[in-house]
Amino acid sequence: MNEPVIQVAGLSFSYNGSPVLSDVSFDVNEKEFVALIGPNGGGKTTLIKLLIGLLKPRQGRIRVMGRSPDQVAGQIGYVPQDLNINRSFPISVMDVVLMGRLPFNRWTGLSKKDTASALAALECMNMDHLRQRRIDDLSGGQRERVFIARALATDPQILFLDEPTSNIDSHGRSELYGTLKELNKTKTIVVVSHDTMVLSSYVTAVACVNKDVHYHNGAEITEEMLETGYHCPVEIIAHGLPHRILKTHGNAS
Amino acid sequence: MIEALHFEFMRNAIIAGCFASLICGVIGTFVVVNRLVFLTGGIAHASYGGIGIAFFFGIPYMLGTLSFSLLAAMLMTAVVLKSKYRADTFIGIIWAVGMATGIVLLDKTPGYNVNLMSYLFGSILAVPNEDIWWMIGLSVITVFSACFLYRDLLAISYDDEFARLRGVSVNLIYFLFIGLISVSIVIIIRVVGLILVIALLTIPPYIAEKYARSLAIMMALSTMLAILFNLTGLWLAYTFNLTSGATIILVAAAGFFLSMGMDAFLKKKQTDIP
Repeated sequence: MNEPVIQVAGLSFSYNGSPVLSDVSFDVNEKEFVALIGPNGGGKTTLIKLLIGLLKPRQGRIRVMGRSPDQVAGQIGYVPQDLNINRSFPISVMDVVLMGRLPFNRWTGLSKKDTASALAALECMNMDHLRQRRIDDLSGGQRERVFIARALATDPQILFLDEPTSNIDSHGRSELYGTLKELNKTKTIVVVSHDTMVLSSYVTAVACVNKDVHYHNGAEITEEMLETGYHCPVEIIAHGLPHRILKTHGNAS
Repeated sequence: MIEALHFEFMRNAIIAGCFASLICGVIGTFVVVNRLVFLTGGIAHASYGGIGIAFFFGIPYMLGTLSFSLLAAMLMTAVVLKSKYRADTFIGIIWAVGMATGIVLLDKTPGYNVNLMSYLFGSILAVPNEDIWWMIGLSVITVFSACFLYRDLLAISYDDEFARLRGVSVNLIYFLFIGLISVSIVIIIRVVGLILVIALLTIPPYIAEKYARSLAIMMALSTMLAILFNLTGLWLAYTFNLTSGATIILVAAAGFFLSMGMDAFLKKKQTDIP
């Protein structure tokens, strides 16, 4: 068995004194497909940002591929939440994907390899025919595919995605998860999502994030996990989460 | 207009206008897409303090204004990077302090007789030869630097977090970029004056943004629009004996409303078709 690609031990983090994550420990093995689920404000995005080195832990240790996150930043792919990005920005699809090849040599500019990698990433996401389009002409699902292509252009070993499906209809969601499953053959994938229903047929592990992290190997999302994750089972049912994700009701515990 | 070209001041005005347009296109584009119009206004007004210093101490206008506006800009940038949500108050304060410093220093300048209006509203028709060389040199440096940093600037403008992740020194480039804005402002003050700088720096890119597929196209388009506004304004000012800076801005504003009207018309036409 290889060493886990992500190792988190005793991790704590707080924003202005209010704790967001406290004493979190878990390991992610190579080529896992991990879903981070949990309530809003539970610390999912914070956890991802810590894992990729955009935030520094107050306490504890994070190792990604055996090193600290900022040392391996070049080998990971990151797909941020769509809503954090300026929508009306005049930028072409190709220019967005090329950002994945940063930093460029400022004297020679883009190399042939940069362009080729960006194109290959777009092809992989079936978006190469739209490369000259302006990004805000695209639908939510297409835009998400472009952001994934941008992350792929770095040729990452681990792919982190923060709520990639928030702007996509349910058909597009399963399609996107299918693509991720395909990528999962060669890459470890960590995805923040609320789509507990769709996810359970794709993922290999689930982490419930709500100040602490409960890491479960195995795809099934049980009622118990949702309860510990969200601390509010009634609300979940009220939101119309279908029961059929659970094997059977009686066997859950 | 053709016979006007025989005058040196007219040739200077046209050269100054074209270089200012190039800056509007390149730097203005970054100002507009980064929503930095307020900060730009702050730097422009604060640079009046630099004009005051230049006259009080008898140093060249360009040197005094440039160093003072750079200083003000760096202060503002440091605050923006440190606390994004309180930055507007601070920018407003520097804005006013700069202007006040300029006014007081000009009060105390012995034998002061410069026309204050020419700095507030520009005097493209009275740009001295020496300043033309300053403008050309600074424009070339500014535009070259912006092109040199194009991909980095594009990345931090669009998604600074991702740029940081990819190892781009976001803060350093941000400071350099604000530095380029201050240099641009000092150049454009010569054309339309410090009060009208913001309009010239933002109207052409704003119009261009709607039609451009990429940032590079937006830059090219807004440069052309800025040249059109500058030369048309200059021609009208010459023909009807008007203040050139204000005329240029009114032409730009006319272009702005024309493009808004056209958009509304096209949109209506589109929705009318079932």
